[in-house]
Amino acid sequence: MNDNNSSRRKFLKLGLAAGATALIGAGGKALSAVSGPEAGGKETGEKVKLLSPDGTLVEVDKGHCHSCPATGKEARQGIPNKKMVMVVDLARCRNARKCLEGCQSMHHLPPKIEWIKFFLLRDSKDTSPYWFPKPCFQCNNPPCVKVCPVGATFKRTDGIVLIDNDRCIGCKFCMAACPYSSRVFNWGNPGQDALPEGKKYSPETSWPQKVGTVGKCDFCPDMVRQGKLPSCVTSCPNGVYFYGDKNEDTVTNGTETVRFSELVQQRAAYRYMEELGTEPGVYYLPPVNRLFDYKVGFQELKPEEIDLYKKEANLSE
Amino acid sequence: MEYNNKTIKNYEDFKPQLESIGRYGYFFITAMVMIIAWGTYALYTQLSKGQVVTGMRDYVIWGIYDANFIFFIGISYAGALISGILHLMRVEWRHPILRMAETITVVSTMIGPSYIFLSMGRLERVWHILVYGRIQSPIVWDVFAISTYLIGSFIFLYLACVRDLAFMRDHPVGVAKWRNSIYKFMSAGYRDTPKQRELLNQLIDLISIVIIPLAILVHSVLAWIFGMTLRPGWHSTIFAPYFVLAAIYSGTGVLIIVMFVFRKIYHLEAHITKNHFTYLGILLMILGALYGYFTFSEYLTNWYGSVKWDMEVLYRLFDTSTYWWWFFFSAFIGVLLPIILIAMPRFRSIKTIVFAAMIAVTALWVKRYLIIIPTLETPLLPLHDVRPEFASYSPSWVEWSLTAMGIAIWLLLFFLFSKFLPIIPVVRVNSADERDYFKLRKLAKERILRRMISKTRRDKGPVAGMLILLFLTSALVCRAEDPVHSRLKLEFLNKSGTHLLTAKLTSKKDDQTIPLEGMQVSFFIQGVKDKTLLGKGSTDEAGKATFTLPDKLDVPRNKDGKYLYSASFEGNKEYQSSESSAEIRDVFMKLTFSQKDSAKLINLFAVEINEKGDSVPIEGSTAIFYVPRTFSYLKIGEQPVKGGHADIDFPVTLPGDSVGNLPIIAKFEDNDNYGNSEVSATMAWGKPLPPMVIIKRGLGDTNAPLWMVYTLIVLLSLVWFHFTYAIFTIFRIRHLGKAALQEENASSATK
Ligand code: SF4
Ligand code: SF4
Repeated sequence: MNDNNSSRRKFLKLGLAAGATALIGAGGKALSAVSGPEAGGKETGEKVKLLSPDGTLVEVDKGHCHSCPATGKEARQGIPNKKMVMVVDLARCRNARKCLEGCQSMHHLPPKIEWIKFFLLRDSKDTSPYWFPKPCFQCNNPPCVKVCPVGATFKRTDGIVLIDNDRCIGCKFCMAACPYSSRVFNWGNPGQDALPEGKKYSPETSWPQKVGTVGKCDFCPDMVRQGKLPSCVTSCPNGVYFYGDKNEDTVTNGTETVRFSELVQQRAAYRYMEELGTEPGVYYLPPVNRLFDYKVGFQELKPEEIDLYKKEANLSE
Repeated sequence: MEYNNKTIKNYEDFKPQLESIGRYGYFFITAMVMIIAWGTYALYTQLSKGQVVTGMRDYVIWGIYDANFIFFIGISYAGALISGILHLMRVEWRHPILRMAETITVVSTMIGPSYIFLSMGRLERVWHILVYGRIQSPIVWDVFAISTYLIGSFIFLYLACVRDLAFMRDHPVGVAKWRNSIYKFMSAGYRDTPKQRELLNQLIDLISIVIIPLAILVHSVLAWIFGMTLRPGWHSTIFAPYFVLAAIYSGTGVLIIVMFVFRKIYHLEAHITKNHFTYLGILLMILGALYGYFTFSEYLTNWYGSVKWDMEVLYRLFDTSTYWWWFFFSAFIGVLLPIILIAMPRFRSIKTIVFAAMIAVTALWVKRYLIIIPTLETPLLPLHDVRPEFASYSPSWVEWSLTAMGIAIWLLLFFLFSKFLPIIPVVRVNSADERDYFKLRKLAKERILRRMISKTRRDKGPVAGMLILLFLTSALVCRAEDPVHSRLKLEFLNKSGTHLLTAKLTSKKDDQTIPLEGMQVSFFIQGVKDKTLLGKGSTDEAGKATFTLPDKLDVPRNKDGKYLYSASFEGNKEYQSSESSAEIRDVFMKLTFSQKDSAKLINLFAVEINEKGDSVPIEGSTAIFYVPRTFSYLKIGEQPVKGGHADIDFPVTLPGDSVGNLPIIAKFEDNDNYGNSEVSATMAWGKPLPPMVIIKRGLGDTNAPLWMVYTLIVLLSLVWFHFTYAIFTIFRIRHLGKAALQEENASSATK
């Protein structure tokens, strides 16, 4: 794992090949989540409307729809036998923010709503600052879930913490409880379209956002059901995010696929503020042997933002 | 019914206030109504536009609404604790101030929670708490606690008013008839028969015993809303007692101010004497000292421990550019000044005591502000936002208006109440008549338990309202530009014997490769002379078109033993045409598993088909082994094939399904001769996946831990048992009253 670059090209090829086979969809058991007529499933004649990630409406037969985002009770349970995890490689991050762009376009969010946040952390005055992209940690002992008065935010068996926008009363208690500032509130109208007629709201898509309710990174369970990676993972140009199923002991950033246990053990992964007992589902690989100088991350920022980052990280120059 | 002279004389003092509102009264009411109207406009603005109109943003998610909430619940302590305790201790001087204290409780408990509603994003969904409520959430504890408390303080106030209501029934006011009928209805037929008197005294004792722990609980629960989070400055074990103490402190302060105001406007100097102020002042001083002690202890501990986040909050409080002056006022002035003013007999006068109380009350509001805002401005991760309104909080006009509205409603309700009933009980009870409350238990045992009716009905939760669904109209943006370059890439795929051709069609846009969807791609094979069309396919969202080759091809292999496949895209208005081809030699692959001693192996056998159609073992090409996973393929090894064989270790440590089934794929990848040829097989040598454990009960789960459920049930039923008993007894008093009335009538008739 340490010589990422040398093995990179090979992995890239693999990624393409793997993608190709995945789409044929006749493959192994693990790929059964892939939708499409080839994937089997009986025709029921009943059609359901699906919203594809780019916002277009497609119609599928219900029998093929084991990849549809779940609604109602099912959405609260989680995808069986999965346990989604993420590993973020801080050594590769240069604050390119492509993940945020991907996230926003996938969830149709306006630019001002940010579910991934970027920090320039510096652990002590003698150490160097590093970029720290932060999605929701999908904590396994989630403080946000504990305090919700109506169960509008809930923890699922697949490790994902979701928000039911139809149920949330907007008390913001979960925001107070989340120690990682992962949640954002729809103070005004988020300007998302209403659901198309006949389509049931699914918390798995986190769409549409509604005024007066909370939103946050949802680990894209609707994508997982289709066997696809979340948009932040695929839009990162540097392969920072590794995503996968802990029950399969495998994570991938789209081009490299590695064993989760080996990755976190060999690279001394840690979870942010483990001492809080929140047991995050997101692991960080320490920013050692970095690919980029932290200053590269300032390139596309506005001056006032650079100043703010510098202030936070105690950088005087 | 007879009233003694003292009572009648008492009443004389109040008669004018009850019968007319007065010029200033009308002026006051108009002013309050105007403020309330303005507040209603602010409320409308917030409800229609959402909470953008407040100063709250993603970091400071709670603002002065919540400070007001704590503040009002805090001052409600005046009635619950002070009057409860004074009553139980049979303090002689308590009578004139009890009703004010209890009214403060009821009015504040009505206003306070409405601020919680204001700070909610979806007011129209409050009923979700009833339907989906989770006992694990401190907010739900709060809902239970505050609603119970509100009802309890209503009962408490009412019981203390019954005698006066009866008096008013017997001495009708001259202005409005409807008022007299209210008095009549509410007096519950109280005629002060010995039996009724006994029951009423008993009840008042009982409810004052119940209301004290209830009040403590309410404020503790309130503190736990903050204490249960992992925030610096909130996550503190002393928060509950600290809140309780601060609440009594401010409650006493408000009581002193209210006493002063009514004394002034209603000229009650004869009833509320300087002694009342002195006694309550001394209580205020003691509470102030205790409050100061808690404050000191809290901040000293934080400072001494100097955990990074605690320190950041402290810096904020001690920094003159942020909150120092506020903090100085609330923690120093607000504690020391009242103590000094009251402790020194030289300074102690009604005016200074009232001044001290005002300082204490204001300081306590500021304190609530300082509990909420600086902590929220200090998240554990840096507060990173260039938008100034996100980085620091300042209340908007909407929030101030609604705060003013709350105060106005509070004042107005209080004023109207003082016009309805004498603000000081006119009918005094002889202390000797009051039963000793320690006898209550015995009484309860003997009489009440038997008669308690337990009948509960469970309501089905309201059916969830249907959302009106709207059409999503998506506009297609058509582009008419010069055709751009397109790229086609053909791949051959042998998937466990099924032969496929896939062609991926892409184009470049802004230096990014984008897949082209919905395009026709034709697949060909090279015959002896020309190429023949095999079939067509259209590309999917990933830009891929797939064609499954028939089992047997009618075309002979070329001299290398290969087939030449090609694919072409004809192009259209937007994209230029493109082509791609691949030369492939057929292979046959087989995957088996073998176990030698403890080693578990995967064996690949692979042969190629030469130009004559014979099988020849593959030599030299590298086979790669994968395990398919949800999103991609995990590589488990690679091995050059020698003499048609390649073996690798089975990945026994890799988790499979519940019995350890692990699909394995062996593959020649992007091979010059074989394209992508693969074979797969499944073997149960992987690590079996333990069955999913679903935890049903826990803080973060759907259902609450059992001990929590039991605690809640026990607490609630204890309190509600007493409330029910109280209501039941009121009806009994009423019943007794009717009997007494009949008797009276009968005796007067015989006379
Ligand atoms: S990071 Fe925050 S929002 Fe996400 S699960 Fe943990 S506590 Fe909840
Ligand atoms: S804001 Fe919504 S999700 Fe968060 S605690 Fe309140 S009801 Fe639950």
